Amino acid sequence: MEINITNNGDSMVCTLAGRLDTPASLQVSKDIQPLLDNADKEIILDCTDLEYISSSGLRILLGIRKETARKGGKVILKHIREEIRQVFLMTGFYNLFEIQDS
Amino acid sequence: MADYGLDPHGNLILDEYRQMRPALQKMKEVALSIIRKDIADKNLMVTATEARVKEEGSLAGKLALKGHKYATARDITDLLGVRVITFYSDDVDKIAAMAENLFWIDRENSVDKRKMHQLDSFGYNSLHYICRIPEYLYKDPDFPEINEIRFELQIRTSLQHVWATLYHDSGYKSGVEVPSQYLRQMNRLAGMLELADEQFCVIRRDINDYRRRVQSLVSDGRLEEVALDGDTFKSYLAMQPFDTLNRRIAALNQAEIQEVPLQRYLPVLKDLGMTTLGDVEQMIRGGQEDAYRLASYQLGVTDIDIITSAVAIQNLCIVTILRNGGGKPGLQSLFDTINGQSEANASLAEMIYHQAENLKLI
Repeated sequence: MEINITNNGDSMVCTLAGRLDTPASLQVSKDIQPLLDNADKEIILDCTDLEYISSSGLRILLGIRKETARKGGKVILKHIREEIRQVFLMTGFYNLFEIQDS
Repeated sequence: MADYGLDPHGNLILDEYRQMRPALQKMKEVALSIIRKDIADKNLMVTATEARVKEEGSLAGKLALKGHKYATARDITDLLGVRVITFYSDDVDKIAAMAENLFWIDRENSVDKRKMHQLDSFGYNSLHYICRIPEYLYKDPDFPEINEIRFELQIRTSLQHVWATLYHDSGYKSGVEVPSQYLRQMNRLAGMLELADEQFCVIRRDINDYRRRVQSLVSDGRLEEVALDGDTFKSYLAMQPFDTLNRRIAALNQAEIQEVPLQRYLPVLKDLGMTTLGDVEQMIRGGQEDAYRLASYQLGVTDIDIITSAVAIQNLCIVTILRNGGGKPGLQSLFDTINGQSEANASLAEMIYHQAENLKLI
């Protein structure tokens, strides 16, 4: 699992690549700390190369969402694959995040 | 120092005022802070709280006109003016009661201008209290006079404030005498604003009565009598009507349920033709088995152990759309509503439709 965070001033862009599964989640939850620290901004999660998401991954996304809601920022998920969109739908996460295709 | 051409008595009072200014500035901060805190503690909503220390030039003008009325600067009660502007006229009395509990009130010099008008007159409606800050609320050894100097607290509604501001601009403080015909027009406006203030209060009371009635109908279970709207849906959601189904779905994988807001589903329910909470209740009763089967079909083959509280209502909506013959376009419209329009929603609709076919929900 690879994660790359860029601070663009007004927004934070985070690219997620690989499988966001339980083993990867422990490291990812540490790596995303800059996002939580900047949760008053717009946080863009680029999921173009995100292949899989487990319950642990959903919890990480939920944590980012809660922090942005608390601090006045927002989360945008970009380019999520159909399989992950289906996971969002079946778990009731679909209406929680702004999802952009372009 | 400016010379305002005052007589010796006026100049004495002006000097006294200059010495009082630091204490007045401190009083301004203290009085505002006390009032703002109490307003927040009592969950009152006001338009504004503001304060000003009288400008030297303005005081000099007052002293030139009626300086003889005052023995010392402390006899002038508006050197510090504090103002609370409310949305509703009912709230003027609430703020007044709050002030009476907080401050020492000089009743002899306080004026309720709302009660001063004759039956055939309108005009400057405002409540003015002359107050002092009691020691138990604030005490400062550097400014012991803070507990002695009186200040004026004005309480008025937003509409009264607009009227009073415009009246002052065009009226007696402008230095030019305004013909009575214009003042009469201003007073006619004051009458109209007074009526508007009353109407706002009536509307607020009616809305509160309606909410209480609805809450009572909801808690009595008379849901078919309650129209479906933002307020009633909120009251209904407080009863956690989807809780049982959510827990049943969560039990499939021993999943935790994250509570999320469900208000976004209101337009979906309305699009489905639901007009009362009874219709929503009927959707739950009639659709919960199929909604559960759909969730079971999707989640049962996974090890996902987290869902949100939106799963039940989402699946109930899917089942209802399909029963109503909405097909794939209906499902796509649902996904567009809850997550914004997207081409990807068409393929989600396609997938759900096939799942429903496999489960013979259609």
